[in-house]
Amino acid sequence: MTRDELNAYRLIKEAQEAEALLQSRRHFLKESAMGLGALAMGSLLGGCGNFFSSPQTKIAYDPAHPLLAKSPPFVGKAKSVIYLHMAGAPSQLELFDFKPELMKMDGQDCPPSLLAGKKFAFITGVPKMLGPQATFAKHGQSGALVSDNLPHFSTMVDEVSFLKAVKTDQFNHAPAQLLVHTGSPRLGRPSMGSWVTYGLGSENQNLPGYVVLTSGGSFPDAGKSVWGSGFLPSVYQGVQCRSEGDPVLFIKDPDGMNRDLRKASIEAINKANEQQYQEYNDPEILSRIAQYEMAYRMQISAPEVMNINDEPAYIHEMYGTQPGKACFANNVLLARKLVEKGVRYVQLFDWGWDAHGDSPGNSLNIGLKNKCRSIDRPITALLLDLKQRGLLEETLVVWGGEFGRTPMMENRNGIQNPFKGRDHHTEAFTIWMAGGGIKKGFTHGETDEIGYSAISGKVDAFDIQATILNQLGFDHEQFTYPFQGRPFRLTDVAGKVISEIVA
Amino acid sequence: MLSKRKILFASGFALIAICLIAFSLFSAEKEIDFNSQVKPILNKKCITCHGGVKQQGGFSVLFREEALANTKSGKPAIIPGNPDSSEFIKRIKSDDPEERMPYKHPALNNDEIDILSTWVKQGAKWGNHWAYVSVKPTEVPEVDNDWVRNDLDKFIFAKLEENKLTPSKTADKATLLRRVSLDLIGTYPSEKLAKFYLNTKDEQKAYEVLVDSLLTSPKFGERWATMWLDIARYADTKGYESDPNRNIWSYRDWVIKAYNKDMPYNQFITDQIAGDLFPNPSDEQYIATAFSRNTSTNDEGGTNNEEFRTAAVLDRVNATWEGLMSTTFSCVQCHAHPYDPFKHDEYYKFMSYFNNTRDEDVSAEYPLFKKFNDSLQNQFNNLISWVKTVSGKERADQMSLFLKTGQPAINSTTADEMVNSVIGNHNIALYFKNNSAARLKGVNLEGVDQLILRYNCTKPNGTMSLHLGSPNGPLIKSWKADVTKGNQNISIDFAKQSGVKDVYLKYTNASVKNPDEFMVYFDWFYFTKQFPGVGKPDYISYKKTFIDLMNVQVPTTPIMVENPESMRRKNYVFVRGAWTSKGKEVNVGVPKSLAFAMPKNAPNNRMGLAMWLTDKRNPLVSRTMVNRLWEQLYGAGLVETLEDMGTQGMAPTHQELLDFMAYQLMYKYNWSIKKMLKEMVMMATYRQDSKVTEELKEKDLFNKFYARGSRIRLSAEQLRDQSLAVCGVLSTKMYGPPVMPWQPEGIWFSPYNGDKWRLSAGEDKYRRGIYTYWKRTAPYPSAIAFDGASRIVCSPRRIRTNTPLQALVTLNDSVYVDLARKLALRMEKVGGSTSTSKISKGYELILYKPIPQNRLKVFEDLYTKAFASFKKDGASASAFMGDKQKKYKPEEAALVLVANAMLNLDEVITKN
Repeated sequence: MTRDELNAYRLIKEAQEAEALLQSRRHFLKESAMGLGALAMGSLLGGCGNFFSSPQTKIAYDPAHPLLAKSPPFVGKAKSVIYLHMAGAPSQLELFDFKPELMKMDGQDCPPSLLAGKKFAFITGVPKMLGPQATFAKHGQSGALVSDNLPHFSTMVDEVSFLKAVKTDQFNHAPAQLLVHTGSPRLGRPSMGSWVTYGLGSENQNLPGYVVLTSGGSFPDAGKSVWGSGFLPSVYQGVQCRSEGDPVLFIKDPDGMNRDLRKASIEAINKANEQQYQEYNDPEILSRIAQYEMAYRMQISAPEVMNINDEPAYIHEMYGTQPGKACFANNVLLARKLVEKGVRYVQLFDWGWDAHGDSPGNSLNIGLKNKCRSIDRPITALLLDLKQRGLLEETLVVWGGEFGRTPMMENRNGIQNPFKGRDHHTEAFTIWMAGGGIKKGFTHGETDEIGYSAISGKVDAFDIQATILNQLGFDHEQFTYPFQGRPFRLTDVAGKVISEIVA
Repeated sequence: MLSKRKILFASGFALIAICLIAFSLFSAEKEIDFNSQVKPILNKKCITCHGGVKQQGGFSVLFREEALANTKSGKPAIIPGNPDSSEFIKRIKSDDPEERMPYKHPALNNDEIDILSTWVKQGAKWGNHWAYVSVKPTEVPEVDNDWVRNDLDKFIFAKLEENKLTPSKTADKATLLRRVSLDLIGTYPSEKLAKFYLNTKDEQKAYEVLVDSLLTSPKFGERWATMWLDIARYADTKGYESDPNRNIWSYRDWVIKAYNKDMPYNQFITDQIAGDLFPNPSDEQYIATAFSRNTSTNDEGGTNNEEFRTAAVLDRVNATWEGLMSTTFSCVQCHAHPYDPFKHDEYYKFMSYFNNTRDEDVSAEYPLFKKFNDSLQNQFNNLISWVKTVSGKERADQMSLFLKTGQPAINSTTADEMVNSVIGNHNIALYFKNNSAARLKGVNLEGVDQLILRYNCTKPNGTMSLHLGSPNGPLIKSWKADVTKGNQNISIDFAKQSGVKDVYLKYTNASVKNPDEFMVYFDWFYFTKQFPGVGKPDYISYKKTFIDLMNVQVPTTPIMVENPESMRRKNYVFVRGAWTSKGKEVNVGVPKSLAFAMPKNAPNNRMGLAMWLTDKRNPLVSRTMVNRLWEQLYGAGLVETLEDMGTQGMAPTHQELLDFMAYQLMYKYNWSIKKMLKEMVMMATYRQDSKVTEELKEKDLFNKFYARGSRIRLSAEQLRDQSLAVCGVLSTKMYGPPVMPWQPEGIWFSPYNGDKWRLSAGEDKYRRGIYTYWKRTAPYPSAIAFDGASRIVCSPRRIRTNTPLQALVTLNDSVYVDLARKLALRMEKVGGSTSTSKISKGYELILYKPIPQNRLKVFEDLYTKAFASFKKDGASASAFMGDKQKKYKPEEAALVLVANAMLNLDEVITKN
């Protein structure tokens, strides 16, 4: 069955309800004013797995209300996700994975055993080993090692679980980012946020359920496909919100049009569309009516939530925001506001972590330190702020990149790079998670003495996806969507919940 | 062994008895059809573990020879004629969960087991997938019904009857006018044509006139080129991280013109794949090859040109298969196709066709085609014919190629063995410091006595020299390197050389003290012969013409130019698809499963490839195109998966019709797209009303049987072009550089790129969507909201979506607010004196029909509310009208508000 067919198949089943709803709907605004009413409707329409005998998790998809909140198949600990992606891939060796042995090897030729049969994005010939370019210390009760690049964050280690032996098989940015977020290095699969909003809907009908915020001056290398909906209905694609200009493109009414007029105009459009539906009987028209209603509600809610100016000074101070700018700190604060409002999945991308050593901005001693400075306070504030609001327990925070960096100093065509930098590395890197039912002050996985390979507790993108879904109440093996003749799932044919870090 | 044989022997009688019974049971059974019965089971249940990717237990069911071969156990799993001793059948029947296949998945049902057993019994014959068999004439179903208007309808009608469905009546004229206009020209026709059609009594005749007129409209080419540019992944930028500008719009114009002059589809493909390989390619044929130059190129510092050149070549392979042949060939890059009969090395054989061109991912995008204006072209023609007379055709052809394309030149980025020199950023150009040297490897010097090089020398008094074989090898020539004005083309003459040799380039400058300073920057090297005809009349003036034409600044377009023999690349299989791990060497070729005997004169290059693609025996090219044309009209292809007609694609709803049309396209219409389209839109099927009856909602909600017209949301371009037309501002200007209509701030955010969106002036703000500047990493936002393709790679199909963000575009995008004002002006001007008559007129301008009473009521109410509001607040009326300084009547603003709402109606955004 194709997507269109499937959507419509479900639509037929729910046609009666939808029509009844249409008949009874006098003013859609009434409905939106009564958020509870909408939720009750959700429980009516959006039943979950227990309605079906099949083991696979069936998601009731209501095309007229595609984002109504739904319950997961089992009770999840997390209700929402904030995923902080450092695009370009930060060096684990300068942040979390301290390797004194590597320091001893600094400047030596890389042993041939580390190069035989390996592929690197840039390194050719025999590179030199490069010792850690940061100072490490143990922190907190858990004694986690964090470098002096993240002085604020090091006070939070007792809140997080570190995964120190993450592996990938993609050594270029775009495919590696796609793998992390869509489960496939190629274009066309739904992103994790799409899966999650498809499965759970959103707690807030007046905002997109899946919001994407970017900083660092560029989009991630893989472009907008890392928040695409693939073969899922496109309403589940990530909506990019901006802290500069209109928070969502075209969200602002034209100059001179007040809200009453906009309301009147959307009501007129939808009334005419209902007439059109009476004539043509095409369910797609009902869907359009629903989209116009949502557009209207979004117009009110999005600018409100995207405005950080009303936050108290101490919050600004804590996050280190720069009002009026598109920066990571602002985005992190926005992420907190969004999950507080019931947005299901907030995806941040911060560009500029690709410390090859080919320029000062891309070096471990200058560029990386600056990037760390720009995230250190915000990520710390996020955990503290969520905690003080009682939200950390139900919000899963994930931090990481798309791969790691080599223990070798990068060369290009055999020529040493002008600055200290490391090449892309697939064998081991660090990701951390916090909140949402994840163990506190815990470290899972270990790399060898120079941080080249994972030696225990190895995990990959699929395991992390499986764990995120698990925290939200899904069995990743059962959570599927039929497409091109077979059920697809986020984790494809792989993935295992990392039970070691589940509290 | 002996004992086993005994047992076998002993049980022989019993076996024979069983076989006899079985035979009597099965003999009555119909022959199992591999394609429709067996292949679907294999694809669904077996092939993920036993196919092109994985071969668990050494067993694969992709090809017959693999399926019948010995497995890891040393024995074959399928023994044709003998299901009972075939491990394949035993395993699917087994009760032991460790044995039973599919492993750890639900067992096959009895029907499936029966089909597979019978199939093995009948000899395990393989079949060819329908789409991989050449198109043959198809019999038209016998249909006796007045509804049918042409042969195509008969296929549709027969299927409707089979499914006990009846077709819908013809749509009303207004609906049909709008439908066929949006389909054929992507916007509205001239008022005159619309009036003619609406006012002519004889609908049948008027419709045909309408169709013929639309087909001859220049707007036709713009609309169909839009479709093709998704296949060609045309964009105005280079892609990847910094995504800078690329001038390749003359390719877009070529496509528009090709559609407008109804270039036969086989020629259309040939020119694009291999236009440069014709004996004397026309300018247009060169520009057509930009089809393959629409690949992304990467200028990012430190990237490897060869890596991204290779990526572009791979992309050409994938685009050719997905776009022209509905096949997901890219799977085969890394392994044999998991489902379809294509082998791993066949990918690389096919890739070899594209792997021999001069483009090398350099940032200047060489080779570039130089477009001369008429006067330059005249000079060029005279020069070339003079050279032909004094020096022969070969020399004239060489010179012509060099002047038009700058080829075959050696890019300085390919230099190696560098001393005191680097390739800037690893990929920009060869930079020299003082006392420097570099090698140009394997240069063809046969008969060469001149080097033309393009370089930028920033210091006076240096000496440049060329040596053979080694840096201190025999001197070819040394010369004083002067300061140039930026990059300059310089000719150096020397004694005649021979053979293929390494050439070393050296530079030294006694006057420069700083050893770290770069001072010479090379672009390219062209080894050639001195200008011919010394002593002949006009030698001096023609030599000057040559130099002038070489240096002239004219518009350029990236194109394909084949490597000369001495630069031919070798081709290898990439192990697991990685370009860095080269496997065995291969030569050009098409997959065996789709091969047929090519004519003797078919060359082993892109021209030979084009001949294979456009050969009437090629099973995929014609089918793919008619399927695509159908999809454009009906919203879904007869094979819905336009990207995949293989065994994993959707099955065709009307395979006979698809084949019939493919045959017609080639044999009846000689590849004419216009004739094919006319046949399609003349169908009764096409002209049906699109209302969904309760019966159809239940029986055929997706309209797969075509018992009604299709209702399809307009494409991004149709929506823009329709809106511009109904608001009376659509520019008729065609061709030229892309334009920048209004877009919000902050959309362009590529790394390392300072380019800005600069709002176009005048009518360029109101050009058709096809002319909007397309930046790959930050495409025009309203077009993307309506599912425009990102054009990074070939997009064989746009999936339509329905989201609130689309509503926000047509409600609030300044472009649409501006258009609402323009529409209101028209309503004001031609809509009579009352608000009611103006509103009615607006609706009619958009939809060609009178407004229904209930709609009129809705908009009158809206108008009244808006009027009251703007009357109360004159300032907001001014703001709403876009000029805060000016006073507007509340009537004017209220009408704009109504116009804005009307442009948002479902019936306006949708093609009914």
